[in-house]
Amino acid sequence: MRSLKVLLFFVAILMVFNTFVLAAVTGDAPIKGETPFLLTNAGQGPGGKMARLLMFQSKALLPTDFDYNAEPLKEDSTDLTKKDYEILFVIIGSSAKGLGASGITIDDEIKRLNLMIEEAKKLGMTIIAAQIEGDARRGKTGSADERSIDAIIPFADYIIVKKDGDSDGKFTNMAQELGVPITYIDETLDFMQVVQQMFPTE
Amino acid sequence: MKIGKIEISKIIIIVLVAILGIMASYEFLELRFYREDVVVSDSFTEEKMLSDWLPSIKNTAVDAPVYIFDSGVPGGSVLICGGIHPYEPATTLAAYVIMNNINVEKGKVFIIPRTNMSAATLGMLGNAYPKFFTIETEWGEKKIRIGDRATNPLHQWPDPFVYVNYPSGQNLAYTDIRNMNRTFPGKEDGSLTERGSYALMELTRKENIDLYIDLHEASLMYPVVSTYVAHQDAQDIAMMASMVLSASEFPMKCEVSPSNLHGLTHREVGDYSDAYAVLMETPEPFIDRVAGRMTEELMTDGIDEFIQTAAENDLIYCNYDINEGITMPSGYVVKGAPMDYRVGRHLSATREVITWMGQFDPAKEVIVTFPGFIDVMDNGSGFYLSDPEEADESKVFKN
Repeated sequence: MRSLKVLLFFVAILMVFNTFVLAAVTGDAPIKGETPFLLTNAGQGPGGKMARLLMFQSKALLPTDFDYNAEPLKEDSTDLTKKDYEILFVIIGSSAKGLGASGITIDDEIKRLNLMIEEAKKLGMTIIAAQIEGDARRGKTGSADERSIDAIIPFADYIIVKKDGDSDGKFTNMAQELGVPITYIDETLDFMQVVQQMFPTE
Repeated sequence: MKIGKIEISKIIIIVLVAILGIMASYEFLELRFYREDVVVSDSFTEEKMLSDWLPSIKNTAVDAPVYIFDSGVPGGSVLICGGIHPYEPATTLAAYVIMNNINVEKGKVFIIPRTNMSAATLGMLGNAYPKFFTIETEWGEKKIRIGDRATNPLHQWPDPFVYVNYPSGQNLAYTDIRNMNRTFPGKEDGSLTERGSYALMELTRKENIDLYIDLHEASLMYPVVSTYVAHQDAQDIAMMASMVLSASEFPMKCEVSPSNLHGLTHREVGDYSDAYAVLMETPEPFIDRVAGRMTEELMTDGIDEFIQTAAENDLIYCNYDINEGITMPSGYVVKGAPMDYRVGRHLSATREVITWMGQFDPAKEVIVTFPGFIDVMDNGSGFYLSDPEEADESKVFKN
């Protein structure tokens, strides 16, 4: 069993450092990304920070290519206009710990998200909605996770979802209704491959 | 009827009360003084006591053995703490498996299998549950005590009306003054529990610990079950570890420690030392409020029909199925949340954060091997515990 363990570990390392191996990205081809963009999250879950980490690990982006802001427009009304952001890249997923850390309720968060989306639309930004943590960040109707999804997805120009987060077809159905492309990832780590395809280094 | 001037009925009552008292004392003392024989691997170099870093707790109930495994090769250092909440016993068992099997090729590892020793000397007050559970080994059954969540009130009493964490000033529930994972970063001249936390901080600071790992178990209705909770300085390490584990072995979430929630290791160890602080939780049905009878079977097999009902109604925060089981990314089908599953999770989750610390911070690399999730799922935890009767005496300790 030791050899199996070593093999699994090796595979995991390869998935991180060489996404040509075993990466599972299906659905529509990722759209072409443009920089600079603003990376944020909806629901104050850890997904935004995970996405930031994976964007750097993908080697496809430089630190100057994007900014990360967990709560745009909470305190500064110029958060979306500090640079000529082309994209608002929203990672969806809620966390009680995250909301508590921010000292807000989900109601406060939804109000801020509505304002953020309205502002982004006015500025003509492309809105990318990604749910990269799968079923761990899905909940019952009315839960913080679902309310965060409902606040963002109807305005998305492109959707990325971890497959087990779409077991009820919610993201797929919304993409069809909106007529926007949707890309599926098997594992959170596969998000790196989507990023690499969106932002090719050549 | 009288014997002399004493009524026989009174004598009978006194004798009955004495018998009941002896029986109760036996139960009480059995848990209070029971110690497990544990075997350490060839990488073991030294045993110390927590009081070596804070002499004021010497010979108190919170003093605890610290087992050190030093490769002699310069590298990073890791502190692995099990049993800060003894009623989460997969943490202590995982620490025993590591101690028994670890090979340290680079750096230094400190292991405390029962971090709050006082809390391991009594059962959960008010809850009728077993004092011990047993696991199968190749040499027979090994008995392991369970314990409480908080420091024994015989060792620290009374509780205040409100516990005010030092130095944050945050108000916490009154019983949290005996909860060692609410009293960090501790207080040198504080309560016994606060001094225990302070001793752990002193160990961390004086031994230049690079990675502090705090093992826990959680109820399935607690949102951070099956989760790493990492100080912001350790968030990249924990996030990468969670993503790799979720893709290869078992689902593992990650949360970042709220900066305004005080008293817990994942916040205070990171704030008051240079260590990366990571806490990790497994699912333990035994401590869920909706679980049925608190039996040894529930502790070891983690199968409960009431939690199943909760799962079917989306009221829990991890995958759980006692009928068909849940298929893990590694291919194993897990029914309920058995002890081996929980121990295996802690083993691989510990290994993974150690590995990723070395990836992100090569100067702090620690190279270790010990059994992981797949090994324990194949062979059981008991397979990795040596027979203390057969082991070299110098490798056997009472813990």
